[in-house]
Amino acid sequence: MKIYTGSGDRGKTSLFSGERVPKDSERIEAYGDLDELNSVIGVLIAGLPVDGGGLRPELHEIQSELFAIGAWLATAPGAPAAAALPPLDPDGAKGLERGIDRLDADLPPLAGFILPGGHPGAAWAHIARTVCRRTERRVVGLAAGVTEAAAAEQMKHAIVYLNRLSDYFFVLARHINRLQGIEERLWKR
Amino acid sequence: METVRPPALRTKTAGPFTVRVLANRRLSANAFELTLARPPRFYFTAGQRLRLEYAGAQRDYSIVSAPAETDLRLCIRRVEGGRLSARLAHAGADDPMMFTGPHGYFTFKPSAHPAVFVATGTGIAPFCAMAGAGVSGFTLLHGVETPADLYYRDFIQPRAAAYVACLSAGRPAEPAHYPGWVTDYLRNCLPPRACDFYLCGRQDMIRDATLLADERFPGSLVYTEIFY
Repeated sequence: MKIYTGSGDRGKTSLFSGERVPKDSERIEAYGDLDELNSVIGVLIAGLPVDGGGLRPELHEIQSELFAIGAWLATAPGAPAAAALPPLDPDGAKGLERGIDRLDADLPPLAGFILPGGHPGAAWAHIARTVCRRTERRVVGLAAGVTEAAAAEQMKHAIVYLNRLSDYFFVLARHINRLQGIEERLWKR
Repeated sequence: METVRPPALRTKTAGPFTVRVLANRRLSANAFELTLARPPRFYFTAGQRLRLEYAGAQRDYSIVSAPAETDLRLCIRRVEGGRLSARLAHAGADDPMMFTGPHGYFTFKPSAHPAVFVATGTGIAPFCAMAGAGVSGFTLLHGVETPADLYYRDFIQPRAAAYVACLSAGRPAEPAHYPGWVTDYLRNCLPPRACDFYLCGRQDMIRDATLLADERFPGSLVYTEIFY
């Protein structure tokens, strides 16, 4: 099956809502970073320890939620297509908080800055955290220009979710290292 | 153009459903319409597809029927040597097949812009569903080879504000026939203004019509559904 059309060969692409925009526009940058984040999570899943500690379903759920956020990022505020999009779960971040609390429960208290690394799964969780932060910055920038009420509401949910998600990845990295018996390395001057 | 509030888009895929063929009707030399019994709990939005599995092969087909209809009709181009369409062309009444669905987002979104539906061949299918669901007042360009390929014309023309049959091979026989491709018509005949383009059909048509929208119809929205 062909996946190419060639309609983007002159530097424009179509939003989900039908607008033709330059490929370096703020909105494309935002969902491009989100796409990168989702792909990094895919690598993270592939790099999990064999038993995975039951993490795979949770990470797959996060990947699905990022697709839902991506649909809103790919939709111009107030566009007719927005009426067909399911709204983001306003409590999506709550689910992440429950995950954070569960993973954090068995971790030793933070004793300083942690050097990213350790088990490959943990190292990828740190990469996911940083890509998530970049995505969050992009979405915050995009949201600043959104005045249409429904789109602004969805951007608000997306920002909260991404903010919590990067915290989740930080705790996840520590959790994976603990599961694998890998000692955290603290920053020393 | 009449505005119709869009129904909530069906985004949950259901199935697989096992269904039986109710009818298999020839539409033209290389296209046919397959009618399937509609499962009771299968819901879709006009313009969406279903994923049909038969004889070990799987393909997506846009649904011709409107969501309120009791049967599911599919408009299928017979591809010479195709793994599925050649077999489906010979599917008989009561043959079982499976599908999942609905799939896709190619649904009508009302706006202040005029809607321009552009189809090549069996790409007319989702526009029939939209018209059957109450959408009207659109401009429809149907690109085919000859007048014999203008299936569904009797149904869709009365619902269109303008119906243009673009004939790439046959001789135009009446004023509604345009001698050339749909992209020729877009380039040379459709007045330049912001429109909502709905493009369904071959990849090269989608590409050329999208680039034309960029050049000649700035401010337009472009929705696409590619038939492979």
